[in-house]
Amino acid sequence: MNKKIGVYICHCGGNISDYVDVEKVKESIETDEGVFLAKTTMFACGDANQKEMVDDIKKNELDGVVVASCSPKLHLLTFRAVTERAGLNKYNYVHANIREQASWAHSDDKPGATETAIHLVKAAIAKVRLAEPLYPFIINSKKAVAVIGGGIAGLRAAIELADMGCPVTIIEREHFVGGRVAQWDVLFTTNETGKEVVTKLYNEVIRHDNIKLLTGAEVISNTGSIGDFTMKIKVTPRYIKEKCNEGHLLKAIAVCPVDVPDEFNFNITGRKAIYHNFPSEYPQTPVIDIKNCTRCGECEKICPSVDFSQKEEILEINVGSVLMATGFDSYTPADGEFGYNQFENVITLPQFKRIIDLNDKKLIFRGKEINKIAYIYCVGSRQIDGENKYCSRYCCTSVIYAAMQAKHKFNEINNYHFNRGIRTYGKQEVLYAESLKGGDIYLQSYEDAPPTVEQHNDKITIRINDILTAKKEMSVEADLVVLVTGMVPRADNSVASLFKLPKGRDKFFNEIHMKLRPVETVIDGITICGACQGPKNIMESVNSALSAAIKSFSYVSKGELELEPIIAKIDKDLCTWSGTCAEACPFDAIKMVKDEKKDVAAINNSVCKGCGMCLPVCPSNAINLIAYSDNEIESMIDALAG
Amino acid sequence: MAAINPEFGKELKNYGAFDFNACYNCGNCTAVCSLSTEEDSFPREMVRFSVLGLEDDIRSSLKPWLCYYCGECSTHCPQEANPGELMMSLRRWLTTEYDWTKLSGLLYRSLPLTIIGFIIAAIGVLIFSALEKFNLQSIMHKGHIFEIIAIAAVFGFILLPNIIRMWWLIILKPKIKVPVIKYLTGFGDLIVHMFTQKRSLGCDDNQLRWFEHFIIVIGYLGLLFTTVFLDWFSNDSLFVIVLGYAMSIIIFIVTIDFMSDRIKKQKEMSKFSQPSDWMFVVWLFLMGLTAFIVRLFIDTGLIEKNIWLYLFHLTILVQWALIIVPFGKWTHFLYRSFAMYFAKIKS
Repeated sequence: MNKKIGVYICHCGGNISDYVDVEKVKESIETDEGVFLAKTTMFACGDANQKEMVDDIKKNELDGVVVASCSPKLHLLTFRAVTERAGLNKYNYVHANIREQASWAHSDDKPGATETAIHLVKAAIAKVRLAEPLYPFIINSKKAVAVIGGGIAGLRAAIELADMGCPVTIIEREHFVGGRVAQWDVLFTTNETGKEVVTKLYNEVIRHDNIKLLTGAEVISNTGSIGDFTMKIKVTPRYIKEKCNEGHLLKAIAVCPVDVPDEFNFNITGRKAIYHNFPSEYPQTPVIDIKNCTRCGECEKICPSVDFSQKEEILEINVGSVLMATGFDSYTPADGEFGYNQFENVITLPQFKRIIDLNDKKLIFRGKEINKIAYIYCVGSRQIDGENKYCSRYCCTSVIYAAMQAKHKFNEINNYHFNRGIRTYGKQEVLYAESLKGGDIYLQSYEDAPPTVEQHNDKITIRINDILTAKKEMSVEADLVVLVTGMVPRADNSVASLFKLPKGRDKFFNEIHMKLRPVETVIDGITICGACQGPKNIMESVNSALSAAIKSFSYVSKGELELEPIIAKIDKDLCTWSGTCAEACPFDAIKMVKDEKKDVAAINNSVCKGCGMCLPVCPSNAINLIAYSDNEIESMIDALAG
Repeated sequence: MAAINPEFGKELKNYGAFDFNACYNCGNCTAVCSLSTEEDSFPREMVRFSVLGLEDDIRSSLKPWLCYYCGECSTHCPQEANPGELMMSLRRWLTTEYDWTKLSGLLYRSLPLTIIGFIIAAIGVLIFSALEKFNLQSIMHKGHIFEIIAIAAVFGFILLPNIIRMWWLIILKPKIKVPVIKYLTGFGDLIVHMFTQKRSLGCDDNQLRWFEHFIIVIGYLGLLFTTVFLDWFSNDSLFVIVLGYAMSIIIFIVTIDFMSDRIKKQKEMSKFSQPSDWMFVVWLFLMGLTAFIVRLFIDTGLIEKNIWLYLFHLTILVQWALIIVPFGKWTHFLYRSFAMYFAKIKS
């Protein structure tokens, strides 16, 4: 309480002083206990005043500073920095907002505004009297990152982390890497195939000693927090020995009697219980899908590499940060949505892309040659009534490119695009122009009058009131209807709940700030990237993957982390463990621990964000928030009420 | 309900249109067009109809005729879809739709067929001259009679039925009710537009184009009148002789300017010339020039020894009267005037 306090009262040009009598404020507080000097200033934030403050603090050895000016949102950090430059701990600075809370709020009542300002400054002085220097917590941070998801974003992030010298574990749920991109054939704008892109990444991944790739692997539990996540991972075996004989395996696949829908081809084809998605997919060893395997033993007879003795493993890994790249699912239309699951030749865009890839010379679907193709856009995106309000970003470009592929690859294809406005943004616009020139026909409707799909005598007719032709009713008889389905969050996103990752209204994972902190989450140490965060094309996924890699690396690179000291603190003597604090904590930062004879609450310093939710619910008032203790707050209330 | 027909676009490309598929429906063309109005908005609608292949809608539309091809739309098109040239192509296509003989369609689509037609006409003139034993007097006399018969026949058997077809497509088929009185009151407009192309004054480009066009219509009709009704080549009246000279000079001087535009390709409307455009302007030029020289030779007494000159003039005349007038670009002059008339009586 032996403070020497400096108080600066800002005119803010006239923003404050036009309504608040700043001289009167100064006079009212300069004799308060502990106030060593009090000044008014035209602009507290101005360079000259900042310099004067530094000099004042140094010369007079002040140990508490108050600036009464604008909102702390604007300049708290500015003045904290001033005190630091003067060699004072920044927590010995307290900000009083007399602009938004006094002059602007009470511009019709100047004496009242002045009175309010005096109380606000007195409250700030009361708080600074009790302020103590605080220092950041230092915690250890394990230099290793877990990348969850081995699609294009996860692979690219892992390579980047490994290049920076950080050990990485890739945890991929499927038995093959590449995620969705592996399923696409030729890609715009580079004209590479998805396979080629994945191959490039895979080759780099296996070249790195720093990267451990786990396939068929799922996180089943997580404990710990930033700097120290401990996860248990269940790894399902392939039931096939590494370095097996290729010829034997092909025969083994041939004899397998099981036939299940092939998810890789979006269920338009079937596959065996022993399978690989396509030749030379990575890792190259095939897999036995043990859930669908009948254990008939046919494959074992032919191929000695089949090994049913392999066992499921549980691994434990410890990392300092987790990078989530779990990707997306394609929207599955409801039964009857534009004839889906109602008429035979109504399929989704991902299925269509697989059909283009699987056919040669002629486009055949269900035994019939396809010539006229109708594409219905925004299915599952930009819904008026449904949940998915967002635009899925990739689909316009993807479908136009697929339609052009079909035209190039097969003869006599006519494309009809039933859209709601084409969004081939950025460099992708050239594709739209090319498609138009190629003779593709575009018809447009508003969201409230979508096209209709009907089937009579084996013929599918699509009708639309085309807004580009004065809402004239148009019809097309099509051989195939492609529903241009957007992106939705993974149906099974249970891994997120292990980390308590928050989701947005659209059910994708949420970042802290869309523009300024786009890959961080409110769970410290966990970054997100790729389409698990929201619809993205490949380029955007890789962009975000690289930022997430850098951000994750920043958590672990030094081996230790500095954390904000303003957090909750338990008074063990008062605590009787009611558990209410743990329930109230949104960050899961409070755990029960044994302390001598009784159970008490303990705060995990690296997880607590100092939000204060636990304080009011404690029945024995055993929790204080550092820098906002009961003493400090009560003294402020006294000053405000005095 | 309209069915979409992408094949129509390919068909239209035979008439000169290209790249109109590139249209992304921004509507800049319609916004910039100084003739487009809220009731009669073009050319975007016509581009759209062409892309979708809505033939019936185009066939019953007068809008292609309401455009005078200043080319502002093509200049401002961000997709370089050339709406101006599309409108021109639609006019060509429409003339073939109106034509009951369907010959104009054949000639537009096939340059070799057109050339064959021209050769047949030339051979016809030679055979006729041989039958007349290359007697100039008799050839000239019968040539004059041919002119009168050809005008009557082409108008009676081809142009008039075609205008009736146009009327049927535009007024009768869409079941538009027009009171008889309107047919009469609108007639003034038909005459005014036919002789003056008044509407094209509404285009924002320079008015010289309108003036040149006006002059050439006067020159053409004047020469027609002088040669056919006043029998210029056999008339001794000084007034008629001078009038004929004046009219033929007007024709070949203005057509030289038109041809040079098509060669320079600086104006939007002269950038893309179809064979039909070239033939129209070149034959008009040749007609003016040869008529001028023939009369000059008559006046200087050289014609007797240069009978080939008259035969050349006659060949040009026959080709013009039997091919270009009924099946070529000449009909635009007629259909455009009637389009204004039908537009007037419809409103």
